[in-house]
Amino acid sequence: MASTQALKSRIRSVKSTRQITKAMQLVAASKMRRAQESTLASTPYATAARQLLTTMSRRTNVRQHPLFKHRPIATRLLIVIASDKGLAGAYNSNILKLYAQQLHGDDVEGIKNTTISVGRRAAQFVARLKDTEVLGAYEELSDQSDSRELQAIKDQALELYSSGQVDAVDIIYTDFISSINQQAVIRRILPAGFEPDSTISDNEDVLYEPDLTTLLDSVAHRLVGAQIYQALLDARASEHSMRMLAMKNATDNASDLIDDLTLAMNKARQAAITQELAEISGGVEAISE
Amino acid sequence: MHLQLITLSGVQLDTDIYELIAPTSTGEIAVFPDHQNLVTVAVPGALAVRHNKDDGDDKLEYFAISGGVIEVTPKSIRVLVDQADHGDDIVEAESHAALERALKLREETDDQIELEQARQLIDRQTVRLKVAELRRRHRR
Repeated sequence: MASTQALKSRIRSVKSTRQITKAMQLVAASKMRRAQESTLASTPYATAARQLLTTMSRRTNVRQHPLFKHRPIATRLLIVIASDKGLAGAYNSNILKLYAQQLHGDDVEGIKNTTISVGRRAAQFVARLKDTEVLGAYEELSDQSDSRELQAIKDQALELYSSGQVDAVDIIYTDFISSINQQAVIRRILPAGFEPDSTISDNEDVLYEPDLTTLLDSVAHRLVGAQIYQALLDARASEHSMRMLAMKNATDNASDLIDDLTLAMNKARQAAITQELAEISGGVEAISE
Repeated sequence: MHLQLITLSGVQLDTDIYELIAPTSTGEIAVFPDHQNLVTVAVPGALAVRHNKDDGDDKLEYFAISGGVIEVTPKSIRVLVDQADHGDDIVEAESHAALERALKLREETDDQIELEQARQLIDRQTVRLKVAELRRRHRR
């Protein structure tokens, strides 16, 4: 049996680990809440853009607009969003697994592949691959809607698509369904798709300034930007929520370990006392004889 | 007339107003109740809101907005922009400093990305300063 001293120091070290994981759990919880709030706050923007498109689609064939037009896919751009830091459970491996599947699928179908990675973990993974061309790697993104990185990703995606260098843009991120359920998903950003909003009444007499094409362009750009931003926020919320869960498990495990170690330590202590008593009484016996 | 000012970071304003003055690609427009249906492109500039009919210019509420889209119906206005800073939140000194930094960056850098960033910063800070100045002028 291990000595009491050794057990004591192990308990101490597990306790300090538990303190750290507990703190990380709390930090992740508060960050998750913030990200969730931002997701909610950005919803009206996307909704409004979609409603505007609906109104405009009554006057013009939206699907003829370059950003909406489907063309045969020969190359596509994947934007993959993972995290900068680890210790978030299966967060990164889920995302990268889905990404690898997509790459494999493209290989089979003979689609050329390019990638923009977001997050250090994604960059590290993508850098090791041979069958994709890396067009950009972003790290440490702020979750502000006006962050330069976000603008840069959006502009790059739009530019590549408009110039015909890629025929589709997909974004791979983790969908935040609830704080206990997150799923790695892939969404198509370009060509832009939109569901006509049936709640809007028909309004024939609308003045469009300067003209419909310019407006359509502007709204479509905004919709794409909003989609990328929302994917980022969802990914962020998912990351924190998975980290929170991972840290909660770690804290629970540490507590269990401490219980076991404490029990072992008490047993060892008791054993030592019992042995000492036995020795003393043995000694007394020997003297009195 | 109902006004909604919607940005990516949330709904900034959701209230009844009397008049909206907005910068558009075809010039500055003022929108009053019962305006014709209109959809137009907003350009970076100062957005002014008059809440009540009898409010003077000193009571105008200002926002510095980036580009976006404005949708007007007789009963409502919806402004969809990437960013909107409330006039009260703009600190002139800070904007001045940021503008100077951006101008300096533009002079010194050869990097295309930094140049683009500097340009964006200059645009944004110029708009913010304009809003701050408008507010100062009307509140005097």
